[in-house]
Amino acid sequence: MSIVKSVTCPVCGCLCDDIELTIADGAVAQVKNGCAMCEAKFFSHNNKHRITTPLMRKDGELVPVSYDEAIQKSAEILANATYPILYGWSSTDCEAQRIGVALAEEVGGVLDNTAVVCHGPSILGVQDVGIPTCTLGQVRHRADLIIYWGCDPWSAHPRHLERYTSFTDGRFEGSEWKSYINKVKAAAGKKKLRSLERKGILKERHPHIAPSVNDNKPPEILNKKGRKLIVVDVRKSMTAEVADYFLQVEYGKDYELIQAVRALVKDQELDVEKVAGVPVEYLQQLVDAMTSCEFGVIFFGMGLTQSAGKFRNIDVAISLVRDLNMRTKFAIMPMRGHFNVTGANTVFTWQSGYPYGIDFSMGYPRYNPGETTVVDILMREESDAGLVIASDPVSNFPRRAVEHLVKNPLIVIDPHMNATSLVGDIVFPASIVGIEKAGTAYRMDHVPLPLKKVVDPPEGLLSDEEILSRILNEVRNIKLKTLEVA
Amino acid sequence: MIVLTPLKKYQYPIIAECITPDVFQGKTKEELSNLPVWEGNKKRKLGELFKIDVTSVKSPDITIIGDVIKVKRIGWGMTQGEIVVNGNVGMHLGKKMSGGKIVVNGNTEGWTGSQMKGGLIEIKGNAGDYLGSPYRGSTVGMRNGKIIVHGNVGSDAAIYMKSGVIKIHGNADSFMGFRMTGGVIHIEKNAGTRLGACMTGGKIVVSGILKNIMPTFALELIKGKVKIETGEKAVGPFYVFLGDLAETGKGKLFVSKEKNPQMSQYERFL
Amino acid sequence: MDLLIKNGFVFDPLNGVNGDKMDIAIRNGKIVESVTERTSKIIDATGLTVFPGGVDIHTHIAGAEVNTGRLVRPEDHEKDFVRKTANTRSGVGYSIPSTFITGYRYSRMGYTTVMNPSMAPLEAKHTHEELNDIPMLDKATYPLLGDWWLVLENLSKGDFEECARYVAWMLRITKGYAIKIVNPGGLESWGFGRNVHSIDDEVPNFCITPREIMCGLAKVNKMLNLPHAIHLHTNNLGIPGNYTTTLETMKCLESIPNDGKPVAHITHLQFSSFAGEDWGTLTSGAEEITKYINNHDHITFDMGQIIFTDTTTMTADGPFEYTLYQLSGHKWVNSDVETETSGGIIPFRYKRKNPVNAIQWSIGLELALMTKNPWKVFMTTDHPNAGPFTAYPKILAWLVSKKAREATFKRLHRKGQRRSLLPSITRELSLYDLAIVTRAGQAKSLGLKEKGHLGVGADADIAIFNLNPEKVDIAQKYKTFRRAFSNVAYTIKGGKVLVKDGEVLQQSAGKTMWVDVQTSQEVEVDEEIKRKFREYWTVEFDNYPVSDHYLKNSSPITIKADV
Repeated sequence: MSIVKSVTCPVCGCLCDDIELTIADGAVAQVKNGCAMCEAKFFSHNNKHRITTPLMRKDGELVPVSYDEAIQKSAEILANATYPILYGWSSTDCEAQRIGVALAEEVGGVLDNTAVVCHGPSILGVQDVGIPTCTLGQVRHRADLIIYWGCDPWSAHPRHLERYTSFTDGRFEGSEWKSYINKVKAAAGKKKLRSLERKGILKERHPHIAPSVNDNKPPEILNKKGRKLIVVDVRKSMTAEVADYFLQVEYGKDYELIQAVRALVKDQELDVEKVAGVPVEYLQQLVDAMTSCEFGVIFFGMGLTQSAGKFRNIDVAISLVRDLNMRTKFAIMPMRGHFNVTGANTVFTWQSGYPYGIDFSMGYPRYNPGETTVVDILMREESDAGLVIASDPVSNFPRRAVEHLVKNPLIVIDPHMNATSLVGDIVFPASIVGIEKAGTAYRMDHVPLPLKKVVDPPEGLLSDEEILSRILNEVRNIKLKTLEVA
Repeated sequence: MIVLTPLKKYQYPIIAECITPDVFQGKTKEELSNLPVWEGNKKRKLGELFKIDVTSVKSPDITIIGDVIKVKRIGWGMTQGEIVVNGNVGMHLGKKMSGGKIVVNGNTEGWTGSQMKGGLIEIKGNAGDYLGSPYRGSTVGMRNGKIIVHGNVGSDAAIYMKSGVIKIHGNADSFMGFRMTGGVIHIEKNAGTRLGACMTGGKIVVSGILKNIMPTFALELIKGKVKIETGEKAVGPFYVFLGDLAETGKGKLFVSKEKNPQMSQYERFL
Repeated sequence: MDLLIKNGFVFDPLNGVNGDKMDIAIRNGKIVESVTERTSKIIDATGLTVFPGGVDIHTHIAGAEVNTGRLVRPEDHEKDFVRKTANTRSGVGYSIPSTFITGYRYSRMGYTTVMNPSMAPLEAKHTHEELNDIPMLDKATYPLLGDWWLVLENLSKGDFEECARYVAWMLRITKGYAIKIVNPGGLESWGFGRNVHSIDDEVPNFCITPREIMCGLAKVNKMLNLPHAIHLHTNNLGIPGNYTTTLETMKCLESIPNDGKPVAHITHLQFSSFAGEDWGTLTSGAEEITKYINNHDHITFDMGQIIFTDTTTMTADGPFEYTLYQLSGHKWVNSDVETETSGGIIPFRYKRKNPVNAIQWSIGLELALMTKNPWKVFMTTDHPNAGPFTAYPKILAWLVSKKAREATFKRLHRKGQRRSLLPSITRELSLYDLAIVTRAGQAKSLGLKEKGHLGVGADADIAIFNLNPEKVDIAQKYKTFRRAFSNVAYTIKGGKVLVKDGEVLQQSAGKTMWVDVQTSQEVEVDEEIKRKFREYWTVEFDNYPVSDHYLKNSSPITIKADV
């Protein structure tokens, strides 16, 4: 039995690197410091249903084959394709991503990562107006106003609050954990009562009415010293329960709301009483809290990037933060989901100049989301082969896109069987990055962290990096041969 | 006149920036047929993808007969002459063009007239998204010229527009005229949401319904008519809004009074 | 196989060779006394100019800042793309080329060694990952240490030895090469949106002034015997009237004992040599600055020469970038790094017809031409801040040819012309001088013993230009000269011919140099420091260092410190 400290968790964009693992008999036996998602991931390597040899579709059935055969066939598919797509990349390490760029370039394909269905719009916003941001430690040390907009870290990034924001002790700002405990208790109590009421154990004394937005006046607390937490969302999330103030925005109206706030920051008067269901008077108070803080920060999630307006929502949110910097210090940061989606964008950018949706078909990188992004290409039925790595597009792409993806030869690389590998033509099992394979990942604030290898992969299993390198080599051999023939 | 007819139904995207009067000018049929184009990641010749006929008719310079929805960059950077397409056209039609005329008897895909500097594009059908808008990250929008769309227009049209005219006989989708600094847009039917967001100059005229106006626009006055271009006026009366107040508030939005009774509440600010 | 470069006009200032016709012999990647001609590969350099491989002391080519610059400028890449070939990878330019293209383009101009001058220690792994992907060049990188809390705290206590131990430790674990200081004190202040405005302003919360930081780190630099001096980006950079701050900065560093060696390298000095009250009255402060530098020996500098083009500014000086944002209204990136530094990015177009830019252009050249000793001045654009490195041949032409300067000068804004000192300057650098300001001087200042010269034992890094100094008067035929320096006849690195006639023949990985400073007593890593670490940063102590995994070709330089 051994203990490994300072392990980086390969789950979400928080990339907590203080995980302590107990290893017994070559398997993870205990996980300390991690959240529930972290524990589940670290135990997953011991999953009995993992496949340990590549599979290839023959006569409609996936049958086990050798790595050599699967790699040879994959290389042939990619080398001969006219418009292949190479998609995924967000849950693997930078080392594999680097090879991915070379492979996409070699086969003249389109390289895209999962940002296209989550924070791709954030990147487009950044390309239009820039981004005033910082690393998470800067927030911990200095932020006295923390705003979560369209995201729920409590569920999606469980340790974000305790490691980087409201409930951490920094050099200049302290933790608000005491008020948080009170609020959690109150929230839990309310939940319990409601559940008892539902079950009929308690008689319903106060018919439950959701408080309307109009009653939700910004509390005095926004003017106090110390850290304040504001949540803006379309519904009251768990994070909102522990916030000092929850601002409920009408669905799909974030853009109008932020634009109105911007006008108020600039001391303009508005010709309306309410914006996105919120009285302008309240917004005024919100603006006062924003401009009077020492260091404010907005974290935003898919509630902003994937609702009506998409990247323009990010554009306007960033513009707001730019405006606020005229008055005080303010930063903004996307809450990236997959543990290394930031790394994929980073690696792609340094090698090709562009973060995702990169079309190498003309021998050089070309970038135009909407035109060169995988979902759009599939919807227009243009591709003729696909490689999917470390992601599961079949379960989250639009139906028409999936139909076209499946119609053509499909190569899948993933540690586990998922919806996409079930319909793939060649399926490679891979070792799990960050558990069975060391590498590098980038946190949501672009801080690079090493991923550790803590246990051995099942015997004979290759890593993403090795599989890709071998496919790349084979592709180069095939191209060399065709060149010689010509 | 040179007539191009697609030889097949294309699956892969085709990049054919050579299809412009400037490039075609003075070339023999054989030279034309050897012009380079890309089909997916394969280098091809124009003659492999199109049947090329040369006729003695003078104008238009190029006619394309058939569906070329996968063919991108037709009319790229053209400075003169005329292209007529009888069918639907792919992305980046007339990108960076500075003169001449393109007529499409069909629909267009995204980025039609992107970064246009002059000339005329007339679309008889619908236009896709990003009509007359700049490339990603760029602040150089339409700088001059004219675009006429007889059908509807997709979202994010006329972004960073600086000068020129866009006329839409149908409806427009959201974010039209985003961050525009000059020029004129006339939407004859209904406009989408977030019209003119972040605009700092120019004017947008809506003769139909504008259901949602940004909260950061303020009513300035009511006006009977508004000039679209020399010799052409739109007849109102119009509510004239100034915005976007989140920016400089110097853009002008003209909204038909008659079609938008829901806006009468604004009149109390006059 | 051995290599013999025959009969070229050789310029090797570190060995006093000035255009002599001679042969250069190469074996195993090094320059040797002689090789057997019969068994060697011969490069006939008759009628060609032979220089040591170029050395760039200050160019932002890799790391978090640079990559964010790439990310936000798709419109900059779109117009300048590079196709893949059988030997080379694809990529994009223009102002911030992708990694492979950076390597190729430098190599095509005869450069073989470049220094990446700005690296937030927390993000050091990123910088090294990118450096691995920049082929054709040897590289090193400077960590930003001027606003690091542990430096501020130790210096404000006056504990130089402890500070030196921490700096040595930091250089080792980030695989860094020199101490980089940017707007000392200003970056910490920027954490709350403030700045320092003179070298005696106190940094909020830290009881220390920029003067104390600069002098303290210069002392530490000396105690550690580092090969390069402190690499300094001054306070008030880019602000009218800042030349007085620069003079004060240089004066305050006089107090550091220097035994004839420079104690500070002031980088992109052009941006720190503004006279005048505001943008309207901006004039050149080059005369005062160069007068001082000509009379003192403790300072070297690089130009930060303006190029009239569309480029991307990026610096750790967050408050300065914010000022630029307010001036331009263009897209703005700010990126503060906990406990260490800040950073900012703004796309910017320098225009001939803008009076301020015209004056800036003039200042850069005035500084270079009015400094008498060429060993004190190095040619840079602070790539990509004042212009992309691909514009170097233009600057070289301005330096060697008054005619070339005049051709640009007459197209400047009239106000810029009136305020320029250039019409009175007749100096034209020789090829020998040029070899100093582009390689020999830079290598010397960096303490790179095997670079920047062609003596026996040096690395076989050589640039051969298609220029016959006996036949071409470069001051008159500056266009011929510029062409020759844009695309080399040959670039040889480590004895391998990488580029021929401006075309990349093969890729070569290049190594990453870093200083391994041995202090008598090391920073003690105990639970206490790990706890403190956890307080200061949001990553664990164990995950902070750049392990060997991150350097493809690691080349440590071991140095014994005095502490």
